Amino acid sequence: MRRVVSAILPHIVLIVFCSIILVPLLWLLRVALTNKLQAYQIPPEWSIPHIRNFVEIFTVHPFSDYFLNSVTVAIGSTLVALPLAALMAYSFARYNTGGLPLRLVTLSSQMLPPVILVLPLFNLFLKTSLLNTLPGLIIAHVTISLPFLAWLLVSFFEGDIILLEQAARIDGATRLQAILHVTLPVAAPGMLAAGLLSFILSWNEFLFALILGGAQASTLPVGLSSFQTHRGVEIALLSAAAICAVLPVFFLLPFMRRHLIRGLSLGALK
Amino acid sequence: MLKRLFLVVTVFLLIGGLVQAESIRLLMESVPDTRYIQELLPQFKAETGIDVDMEVISYIDMHSKLVPQLISPKGSYDAIVVDFYWVGEFTKAGWLMPLDDLVKRDNFDTGVYVPKLIELVGRVDNNLYMLPFYNYSMAIIYRKDMLEDPKEQAAFKAKYDMDLEIPKTWDEYWKQVEFFSRDTNNDGKTDMFGTVIQGQRGDCISMQWSNYLYALGGQYNDSNWNPTLNSAAGVAALTAYREALQKFSPPGSESYCFDEGFNVLAQGKAFSLQTFNIMFAGFEDPESSKVVGKVAITPNPGGGLNGAWGWAIPKSSPNKEAAWKFLKWVESYEIAKKRALLGGAPTQTKIFVDPDVVAARSYYPILGEILAGAQQFPVFTYTTQLVEEMGRELNLAATGEKDIKEALDASAEAFRKLLIKDGKLSK
Repeated sequence: MRRVVSAILPHIVLIVFCSIILVPLLWLLRVALTNKLQAYQIPPEWSIPHIRNFVEIFTVHPFSDYFLNSVTVAIGSTLVALPLAALMAYSFARYNTGGLPLRLVTLSSQMLPPVILVLPLFNLFLKTSLLNTLPGLIIAHVTISLPFLAWLLVSFFEGDIILLEQAARIDGATRLQAILHVTLPVAAPGMLAAGLLSFILSWNEFLFALILGGAQASTLPVGLSSFQTHRGVEIALLSAAAICAVLPVFFLLPFMRRHLIRGLSLGALK
Repeated sequence: MLKRLFLVVTVFLLIGGLVQAESIRLLMESVPDTRYIQELLPQFKAETGIDVDMEVISYIDMHSKLVPQLISPKGSYDAIVVDFYWVGEFTKAGWLMPLDDLVKRDNFDTGVYVPKLIELVGRVDNNLYMLPFYNYSMAIIYRKDMLEDPKEQAAFKAKYDMDLEIPKTWDEYWKQVEFFSRDTNNDGKTDMFGTVIQGQRGDCISMQWSNYLYALGGQYNDSNWNPTLNSAAGVAALTAYREALQKFSPPGSESYCFDEGFNVLAQGKAFSLQTFNIMFAGFEDPESSKVVGKVAITPNPGGGLNGAWGWAIPKSSPNKEAAWKFLKWVESYEIAKKRALLGGAPTQTKIFVDPDVVAARSYYPILGEILAGAQQFPVFTYTTQLVEEMGRELNLAATGEKDIKEALDASAEAFRKLLIKDGKLSK
């Protein structure tokens, strides 16, 4: 009897917690497959699901543009931020560049509310014609992710990995060879985790995208918010759009699970 | 050789720049009227050769998107739309270009607009800053099938000694609200509601309660800007509002806003709702409403709250002349009428009674009537702050957490302080 209880009890607890997380997502899916009338019906009325909302967001509303813009900006900003962050982190870890003050200063942009950063950026972008362009948004998102990534990566370049690097140097490798063939492969899970985080940061970012973007450079979060209209929330369309917006991150989850946890929790050596 | 190549390239680029089609950028809100204008844009391009690049975002994001654009000497929007909330702020800050000279030069007739809209989103201190774009005045949307039911009519007559018909006075409306609030399945709980309160703090409660205030003969201020909302009429209005929340409106409606109110009526669970006229189309859409063909709209007794958006050309506009061309085109009778035929919210007096428009949408004359009787919310630099502060007090009073008179006094005091800050009142 005790064995049965101890086998079932954890599952009950797990099912309860999983439901807390999953039910809202499943409800979102249900609303996406119905219309506004049924979405708000209490008690809920079940009908044959349809994909009209999904069709509408991609035909009537420029959702494919938002999607493409989001993918471009998220990948673009990650490709720019990650190498820079790795170099910064390496420099902090090996040469203690600028000491603790510089490390803190790097973080200072993260300490301010983003709205304070966005106004000067707006002025700069206006003067350089970067407003309402994808390169502009990529630069803006790099300013958000770079300090964060650099701090995250410092821990991967510190610690016992130095010993490996020194061993490589003793074996005759140049510093660059040591970095390329020893440090980077060992720090790869960390790099990947940082890259994924950078992607998600950019994917979800709203304020910069709203103010610095425009008709040509609107990303998904800005597109999603446009379903909240003066005539009320277009709940069915919004749900369909939200499902589409969640999908890429959803597919990244397996990678995340494998690398992020490892990346965040361990140093380098096994 | 290289020099020559450079020269050729430069000349090409210059010519390219010159012959490039003229274009303007607009920032618009995601409302149906915006979509109707988008549909008509090819006609503007054909007539003028000007491309229109329209950026559409939601209401809540508009202010934060606009302000950085407006404070810089040269922004990227040629024309914008301005909600009446922001009129005081934008004009006082000097962000909008007065249109008087252009109107005079091109003999543009501003007499076509409903005068109340020119007051609200047109003229400020004798300067014309905006052209009224669309209106969203508030009115009563009610279930005409319930009102026309002979059985209900007989029961109403027996109970109140009064005919059940389209409410013309507050007393009539209030009796109907009470009459139709009932327990239809006998479980001891009201499940059909006479009205729906939108009691969420801020915008939602301030806008809806204004209708109660006007209906009971109150005003926000006198002609010298002295706050009067805490008058006896104000107290009566808030008392009625509290009663409605407690007895005639669904549980939880102290945190409802426009969307929730819409849904209660659209699900067939209420008799009436005081809301924006632009919501009406939603009740006629089977995708969002169970009561298609069963609702009608009528003016709020004493006038409903007026709301509107206006077209403006910001001082930071890079191409003011082309923007003006667009404004003249979009506000021409022809385009305004086409927009109304598609279901838009007109601002010109004649559109409401245009035979083609009425043939397509029979309720437009009533919309005109609603607009003609609509009342104006105080428009000054700190309108938004007033809405926030008063909205909090109203909510506290409606839910019974604060005394009604105290809440109104606090609102009037907050209003007075904002008016002093704005220079409309002296200390």
